[in-house]
Amino acid sequence: MAEKKKMSVADILAAARADKQSAPNTEKPAAEEEVTSVDSSPVESSVSETTPEPVASKTGSSERPSVKDILAMARSGKGKPAEEPKKASKPAAAKQPAAKKAASPNSPAVSGAKKNVQRDTASILEAARAGTKPGPVSKSEATGFSKPKAKPAAKKTAKAPPRPVPPRPAREKTVKASKVSKTEERRGFLAYTVGSFMAVGFTALSVTGGLFSMGLARFLFPNVLAEPPSSFKVGSKEGFPSGVVETKFVAQYGVWVVNADFEGVQQIYALKTVCTHLGCTPNWLEAEQKFKCPCHGSGFYKDGINFEGPAPRPLERYAIKIADDGQLEVDKSKSFQEELGQWNDPASYVTA
Amino acid sequence: MHSSGFFLNDVAGFLGGYYTFLAIMNGIAAFLLWRKKDAPGWALVWSVFAGVMMILASLALSASKSMVPALPEAVRGLVNSLSGPVLYTLGTTALFTGLFVFRKFFVQPMVAWSVLNFTLLLLGLSMADENFAAIVMKPDNVPIVGLVYLLAFFTWVATKQAVVNDERIKQGLPVVEKVNDEKVLVWPDLVYTELICMVGVSALLLVWALFLPAPLEEPASSVKTPNPSKAPWYFLGLQEMLVYFDPWYAGVVLPSLVVFGLMAMPYLDFNKKGNGYYSIEERKFSYLVYQFGFFELWITLIILGTFLRGPNWNFFGPFEYWTPYKVEVLNNVDLPQMFWVQWLNQPLPRAPQDAGLLSQIGFIFLREAPGLLIMGVYLVALPPLMAVTIFRGFYAKMGFIRYMVMSNLMLLMLTLPLKMILRWTVNLKYIISIPEFSLNF
Repeated sequence: MAEKKKMSVADILAAARADKQSAPNTEKPAAEEEVTSVDSSPVESSVSETTPEPVASKTGSSERPSVKDILAMARSGKGKPAEEPKKASKPAAAKQPAAKKAASPNSPAVSGAKKNVQRDTASILEAARAGTKPGPVSKSEATGFSKPKAKPAAKKTAKAPPRPVPPRPAREKTVKASKVSKTEERRGFLAYTVGSFMAVGFTALSVTGGLFSMGLARFLFPNVLAEPPSSFKVGSKEGFPSGVVETKFVAQYGVWVVNADFEGVQQIYALKTVCTHLGCTPNWLEAEQKFKCPCHGSGFYKDGINFEGPAPRPLERYAIKIADDGQLEVDKSKSFQEELGQWNDPASYVTA
Repeated sequence: MHSSGFFLNDVAGFLGGYYTFLAIMNGIAAFLLWRKKDAPGWALVWSVFAGVMMILASLALSASKSMVPALPEAVRGLVNSLSGPVLYTLGTTALFTGLFVFRKFFVQPMVAWSVLNFTLLLLGLSMADENFAAIVMKPDNVPIVGLVYLLAFFTWVATKQAVVNDERIKQGLPVVEKVNDEKVLVWPDLVYTELICMVGVSALLLVWALFLPAPLEEPASSVKTPNPSKAPWYFLGLQEMLVYFDPWYAGVVLPSLVVFGLMAMPYLDFNKKGNGYYSIEERKFSYLVYQFGFFELWITLIILGTFLRGPNWNFFGPFEYWTPYKVEVLNNVDLPQMFWVQWLNQPLPRAPQDAGLLSQIGFIFLREAPGLLIMGVYLVALPPLMAVTIFRGFYAKMGFIRYMVMSNLMLLMLTLPLKMILRWTVNLKYIISIPEFSLNF
């Protein structure tokens, strides 16, 4: 074909998409024209309608196929230049853009016509440059505008074919039989299909979820538990002279071992280093003879009784006893609260 | 305590730049005022002030500690000895009251500029104190200082507009927002502004990160709590509340009530005025309640927690050294203890050792009877009482349910200042104290 030199990249692509045996150059320009004419302004579109003619004349035919024709040709598989479609195609190609323009509200031509009615950003900017101050469209104003807009939108949806249920030859026959049964059956089929998908999906989800949470729960029961032993020995009674708060076990065990007088009895007891207000670790202040919490200022006496700040109850005691070898042994697995009267329990102290 | 080397390098050098900045700021202000030609007297005042600031800057940069301008030792000592939680709270309350009552005076630009200059100068003079500088110039705390000024500025702007509007309403003129209702476009006006802000804030964050590095401390340990142990700055109000309440109330109930109350506001508000424009006169009740809750019960507590609470959560004066060995007598007792032991001179009602659960609960109720009675009167009897007295008009306009929600929210909000006052005056720890079930109020 002599016209090959005229082909652009788009033409070549179009030709490649269409059947190779067909005349590629005659088809694509028409398709291209259709695309450009939709987007172009009215003036431009009138030009584009005329421009392809010289190209077309070279092929020997003034007619050019539309996209539909090309697709039809491609489907048919036969590479016939198809003179008949060509004849029909020209009016189609020429009319389609015009029709589309008229139908679609978004095309510039229509919006230009509406200019007087609705203020879009461009018009506002234009007006702002001119010196006037039109505001953006407010909600109340917008309701006035939304009406004309709604119509084309409705048209569009009407025009768009409903999401097609894949056509099945067997079904098609029954569909034609009666319209009522057609819709009913479609709905039933839809419900059935969707329902079964849902059932399968949710069953799979719940099974997976169940297995997953069971797997997670397994982590709550580790095979090996690396916890320090809850009870430990702190040395013999003689290491804790009267009136002294031993702070050397705080860093490792979180315990003060105190030898002090409580309600007239000289006792050795282990205080838990957790403030009863919000759980910070208080400090033992030797000069003031009190435990003082750095977080909110709670203060405790040497015996653990709260006396200042917000702490609502005394410090807790851990169990303490004299082990078989004569050393003091603190057991952190058991604690004693004064407000519950548990400090009378002989397990909570060792008489000094 | 810091060595004088630290002081000369870090603080005095900074103060030189700081006073220079003040001088430039006032110089520009004087120049602008002079060009506008409507206040030549003020232009003269600010140019003289800028000159004084330049002198202070040169003194600060003199590399001699004795030359750095500072508050007299006697003044600092007096401030330290006077300051305490009570005076701090009373002082801030008085300050806010004064600002509110004389708002027409303070919204004048020249007055506000004078106040700004005064506080900045006071800040600079205080900074010459090592203890003050150590706290205020801590990398954590520098942004808080900035936030205080920012908040003051925004409040001032809003108050100014409200005062102008109130004046116009009084004269029967439309409010400023109605007259000057020019609309702008989101694109490009707003989006461009936002873009510029984004670039500016990013630059600021970069500079901030470079010059005020985040303080890194030793690895956390469950048995070692830093002293003082402070929450992030925005929770310091909460931490201060926790000093006066049990965790479940100050940490759970009150913050939830704050959120709930803010959400309920539009439904409780029956005042149709003040919609879309600033006004104080037309919404005095709403304005005062909100500002009391925000400034008095949140912002001042944050400032207190940031700058004035030191080791062991003790109160320290602004020029006091933060020693962990400061001894403060803070002994306090619960109301049952006060009632039974101190007033009736008898031991606390206590269930016998082998009593059942029901009898134990009965004894607890007996023990806590005074506290329960007080709280019952406060929350149940007070709202209806207020409905027929001070809130008569409110009750008529709001209806039963809305009025009850409003009055209860307000009463619960007021538990915080009331509890603080009770703690300071009569050393009351808890009104209701049931440690057996971790219920304390």
